[in-house]
Amino acid sequence: MKQVIDKWGKSFGIYLILMIVFPFVMPDEYYRSVGIIIGLHAIVTIGLCLVMGLAGQISLGQAAFWGIGAYTSAVLTTKYGLSPFVGLVASAIIPGLFAFILGRAIAGLQGYYLAMATLAFGYIVQIGITEWEPVTGGANGMISIPKVTFFGDSELSMYYLIWGVVTCVLLFSLNLLHSRVGRAFRAIHKSEIAATSMGIDVRKFKLNAFVVSGMFAGISGGLYAHYMGILDPQPFGLHESIKFLTMVVIGGMTSIWGALVGTVLINFISEGLIMMSEVIPGLQGDIDTIVFGAILVLIVMFMPEGLVPRLRTLYEKSQAKKAKAKAANLQSDQRVERKATT
Amino acid sequence: MTALLEIQNLSRDFGGVRAVNQVNFQVNKGEILALIGPNGAGKSTVLNMVSGVIPPSEGEIRFNNKGMGPVPGYEYAGLGITRTFQNLQTFDDMTVLENVMVGMHTKTQSSLFSCGMNLGRARREEQQMKEKAQLWLEQVGLASLAFSQAGSLPYGKLRLMEIARAMVTEPTLLLLDEPAAGLNHTETAEMSKMFQEIRANGTAILLVEHDMDMIMAIADRIVVLDQGTKIAEGTPREIQENPKVIAAYLGTEEEEGRG
Repeated sequence: MKQVIDKWGKSFGIYLILMIVFPFVMPDEYYRSVGIIIGLHAIVTIGLCLVMGLAGQISLGQAAFWGIGAYTSAVLTTKYGLSPFVGLVASAIIPGLFAFILGRAIAGLQGYYLAMATLAFGYIVQIGITEWEPVTGGANGMISIPKVTFFGDSELSMYYLIWGVVTCVLLFSLNLLHSRVGRAFRAIHKSEIAATSMGIDVRKFKLNAFVVSGMFAGISGGLYAHYMGILDPQPFGLHESIKFLTMVVIGGMTSIWGALVGTVLINFISEGLIMMSEVIPGLQGDIDTIVFGAILVLIVMFMPEGLVPRLRTLYEKSQAKKAKAKAANLQSDQRVERKATT
Repeated sequence: MTALLEIQNLSRDFGGVRAVNQVNFQVNKGEILALIGPNGAGKSTVLNMVSGVIPPSEGEIRFNNKGMGPVPGYEYAGLGITRTFQNLQTFDDMTVLENVMVGMHTKTQSSLFSCGMNLGRARREEQQMKEKAQLWLEQVGLASLAFSQAGSLPYGKLRLMEIARAMVTEPTLLLLDEPAAGLNHTETAEMSKMFQEIRANGTAILLVEHDMDMIMAIADRIVVLDQGTKIAEGTPREIQENPKVIAAYLGTEEEEGRG
């Protein structure tokens, strides 16, 4: 943990403070529930960032893994009376298995074809959930899914439980980013030929990234089911997958922090739209789809690297202006020495 | 002389075009073998086959007496064959150090789980990778740029970085695809010296190159290809005097106009 804080320094400190303080700054329960939803989305988008931003594999089926996770835990706890803890573990494993099987099947696909295959998978899962009525309750959904009560069942304890999971997922992914495996993902993204010639088994690592992202989405889904207490197939379709994708792209695909920032932003915009629709009746309905679509287009056109990498570049440029070239050289030499001795 | 790499009747077709036709040669342990020929002679195609990027249409490649036919491309590095690329294949969004660390992939084993949890093993290996990468960056003279973004480096430096990245895999056979392309005279001379050091440390080099000064200075033997076929093989001196080579290749050297 100490090393992690050394490594991520300020960003992680700021994250922790904001995360812990948020529910106290916000006046009522409603905003805590918004915070919970953001946390649930963040778990999915951090996973999506691994597979899409790092390994360069587009997935338009992330909401399907989310849904599989949600229904796995919901069915196990309500129909078979297992404890939510067992349900949550299963909600990571089962979507992971689905991701493994899907990943194996589509291992050779790239670019548009991969996007199409994951899109189709998303539809199949949503239809599957809707039609498998005896188990999933079909379009009517499921009710009275037990709450997770590890730390009590108030909104506040749920908030901290979920953001605890977000923090774990975040640390795991940040560690991964700067490791042998993370570099393998990034190498595959840039040049599969070069990665192969460096001894990286491209298929295996793509599959790894896919499975991890599926598991993250699954865990989030499981938590979602227990938090909501009711489920229906509607949120687990293409619309939600695109929303996840937009979050990752806005924040900056290549940055784990970007996924988090994008998730917070999109959810705030979403809340803002709901508030505005109370004042302006014309904004009701699927207005958020239009807004997110527009944001996605604008980002791809004007800031394809995304928010966080763009800000980082700007920050680094301003820093570089301050320091003279010579001082910068000295500093990097010292850094080299320090890395070599620790 | 023990053969490290044996190439037997190697051919490769692209559609109806035969790019490489029945080529035979071998690379001995610890030697620099230059593969030369006019543009389109099939040099890069041979290199791509030897490095496992594309399979041969016919013929066999044996490395350390082992047939490489069924070996998947990603296992080559672990067996001791690595390469650089004619049109650089660098990981631009990583730092120079990270680029070279990717080369340590086969020397490390940490799983996804232990990397994500930052377990002891992953940390140890990370440290080991950094040190080794750092060492090779010093060897190629890029130590001061270790934390720069690779994408911001000029062409010549990226070539050196690719060589460092290939060398951390500890290859017994290094494949170089036009490493001197785009370099100035001084840089080429420095690079030649480096290749000689690499050879002195026991790594054999298969060098595809147009720069005749470099080849004549460092190659132990030369194989000449023309239109996919081997037309000559011998020491630099023998090749310089070979009338077939002069006709096919050296006669056109001026027109190729390297700077």
